[in-house]
Order: sequence, then structure tokens, then C-alpha cells
Amino acid sequence: MIENVTNIPLESLLGHVQDMLFSGYRFITATSVDNGDGTIDVLYHFDKELEMKHLRITVNKQDEIPSISGIYFGAVLVENEMKELFGLNIKNIVIDYGGHMLLSDEELDAPMSRQITIVNKDKGGEPQ
Amino acid sequence: MNGKTVIPFGPQHPVLPEPLQLKLVMQDEKIVEAIPAIGYVHRGLEKLTETKEFTQNVFVIERICGICSFKHALAYCQGMENLMGIEVPDRARFLRVIWGELHRMHSHLLWLGLLADAFGFESLFMQAWRDREKVMDIMEATAGSRVIISTNQIGGTRRDISPEMLAKIVDVVNDVKEDIERVEKVFCNDYTVKHRMVGIGVLSKENAKLWGAVGPMARGSGIAEDVRTLGYAAYGELDLEPVVETDGDCYARMKVRLRELYQSIDLIKQAIAKIPEGPINVPVKGNPNGEVISRVEQPRGEALYYMRANGGKTLDRLRVRTPTFANIPTLLKMLPGHHLADVPILILTIDPCISCTER
Repeated sequence: MIENVTNIPLESLLGHVQDMLFSGYRFITATSVDNGDGTIDVLYHFDKELEMKHLRITVNKQDEIPSISGIYFGAVLVENEMKELFGLNIKNIVIDYGGHMLLSDEELDAPMSRQITIVNKDKGGEPQ
Repeated sequence: MNGKTVIPFGPQHPVLPEPLQLKLVMQDEKIVEAIPAIGYVHRGLEKLTETKEFTQNVFVIERICGICSFKHALAYCQGMENLMGIEVPDRARFLRVIWGELHRMHSHLLWLGLLADAFGFESLFMQAWRDREKVMDIMEATAGSRVIISTNQIGGTRRDISPEMLAKIVDVVNDVKEDIERVEKVFCNDYTVKHRMVGIGVLSKENAKLWGAVGPMARGSGIAEDVRTLGYAAYGELDLEPVVETDGDCYARMKVRLRELYQSIDLIKQAIAKIPEGPINVPVKGNPNGEVISRVEQPRGEALYYMRANGGKTLDRLRVRTPTFANIPTLLKMLPGHHLADVPILILTIDPCISCTER
């Protein structure tokens, strides 16, 4: 359903992001989605004159992801957020909060990475 | 004196309606670096949406923010409607414009009042908020509540507006327009206001784009982009040009918001003149499957919603990027070089919403 998505390997992320900058794209944000199989999709959203483009990388939870905040400073907050809430191993964020931008010491580690399944007990425990 | 001092600005401060802390590294009276500390009102609403049925999520989404609750619900509903192939009735599309622009009006009037309060102009603050009350009264009259009006649902709107009420809305916004014309003279010409805002916090067009500024922040720096021009809801059937100023300073951002008030009044009147008769919603059948992105122009700028569903009643992921989340990095880049006394006005001109930012 999403148009203009390019799946790219992790190794070429910074090169593609640099290309977006040279092409005049604005960085909108990034989105991470836990696929439930040990991998996480990270989508980087860009805009040029209201036309969007997206880069998608699929990473394992322990993979080292280079920060794009050196290219687009606007990625600082979202990269810290993904690092905290999804446990992504993002390296070299321009301002790195070390996992404490939103969460305190007492919080769960990577609370967004867990998948929740709602089970309807009236229907024999079938996941919905 | 070459030593640097760190001054914590916030999280509790008279100009901040919500908790945000900036650690300001100062050299003498000038800022050399600003580091934000957020997380005071993080509620985990994105995670909560994974535990609710997709139709129930509208009520969660509306609680991301009290000021633009309708716009959040609109972004979510439009995304789900696209994902499920639901065609919204024409009347509902126009009703969404009317309530959406009323929300923009009350948000901008609220901001103008806060701005006046920040530089100690109490009577101007009172004038701006007095007009906001008139808009809030329309919300109550049309939806039954003033802040979280809950009129959006997937497939259309939950409530209709009668012809008599539509006529009354026109009267009220005309009345508000006359009031705004009066206070605009003060906001734009008063010596105190100009002294605090002209030439302060200049953001160039290039930097606005590079750092990802959105909404009045970007338009105040000459970027003519407004998501409404994509034509969602009924905007595609209304005359709409982005409001743009080119100076890029605090004063330019204020003028954008002032001019957008007139634009909202115009859009409301256009929508009321063109609204067709007919149903206001259609039933929702089945469950969503796939992924979708939805964007709307909130009072503070572009909001982006990403949703992924797997055919069940709950979503796998709902991601919200609010405008303040995009504008904070720009603020951090703008602050160095300014005096400590300029910080309150600079922060206010991004119109920060921390509830939105942290969700």
C-alpha cells in the first residue's frame, strides 16, 4: 500500500541517505516495526515538495545500525527513541542519550519490541 | 570571562505549559549549545494501540494531544480508510474540514495568547483567549465537548451539524474575524512585540529544510508547503494557498499563524457554502491488512501516521510523528548565539506540544 519504498541492505544505508540529501529531500522521520521473527524493519521517510520516498532496512536486533543524524540532524530524537523503545543498536547518534531520553532506569528494556497477542478466551483461545 | 555555565531551562517554567527541559550551555550571556531533556509525559500510547481493536484506537489517538485531538483522529481514520478501501461520504469530508479548521483556529489563538503572556502583555493575552472561547463554544455546541470532541470515526463522522448551526458558525467566525483584525494591529505594530521578535531566531529556508522544520516554522522561512494542498478530506475542492512569510524570524512565524487564522475562517465559510446533503458515515466491514501512511496538516505542522495490520482486529504497529517532534531539532540549532532572555520567545515560536512529542 505504501508507494515509493526502496528495500536496501543495511550496509548501503548511509550512502542512500546521503543521496536523498543531495537530491533535495527533507527527512520526515523513521519508523521501526518489530516483525515478530527476531527482525525489525526500519523505514526512513523523506519528502520533496510533498512527494514521499521511503528507504527500508530489515535488521536483526543485535545488528549495528549507523546513525543518519550526521547527515540529517533532524534524526537525533527519533534515533534515540528507536534505540530505547525497540532496543536497536544505533551507533554514533550526534546527541546520544544512552537509552535515557524517555525511559528511566526502572523501565523495561525496549518495551516496544515485544509483540502482544490478544487471546479471546470465549473462542477457544484463538489469537485474533 | 571564558568559562561556560549550564543553565537548566524548565521543565517547570512560566512560559512552558508542558514540561520540557533545555540544558543551555552559556558563555557570558550567550547560548553556545542547547540539549533537550524530554520524557516527563511519555505515556506509551503507541504501544497501547496494539492492545485495542482498530476501531477503538480513535479514542486513544485523540488523547495524544488536547489541542489538535481532532487532527490526530483524522490522520488515523484516513489511514485506516485508505487501508480498508472505505469511501467516506462527501458530507463527512466537508464536516472534517469545518471541525479541523476550528481546531486550527483555537490552537493558533491559544498560541497567540501564550506568546503575549510570555512577553508580559497581559491584556493582549486576554484578548486572544477571549476569541478562542468563542471557537471553543462552537465545539461544545456541535460535539458536546470543548477539547476532545470525538467526532471522527473510521468511515466518516460520528455527528452531523444542522443547517441552523452551520449558519451560526458563519456568524461566529465573522465575529472572531473582526476581533482578530483589531488584535492583529497590536501584534504586528506594537513596539514591545516587534522589539522582542523582529530579527530574533532567524531560520533560513535552506536550514529549515535541512533540519526538517514543518508547519508555520517552515512557512515562516519561505517554504510553501502545506499538506492540506494534497487535497485530503474536502481540501481538494476548496481554494487554498499556503501562507508564507520569508523573513524566517520569530515575527515571521507569528505572522504566518495570524494569517492562517483568516485562512481557516475562509476555509470554514467555503466548506459551509459547499457542503452537500447526505449520509455522514458508512459501516466498516472486515479487518485491515497491510501497511499505510497518512499525513495531515495540524496547527503546528505536518503529522505523519504509519500503520501496519495483519488482518486481525488489532494493529501490529501504529507510529505517530508529530510536528513538534520535527521542530525540536531545528530549535536546538537555532538557539546558539542568542541571549538567555530570547529563549522563552524562541521556544514559543515553535509552538511546542510536549504531549504530542512524547505520546
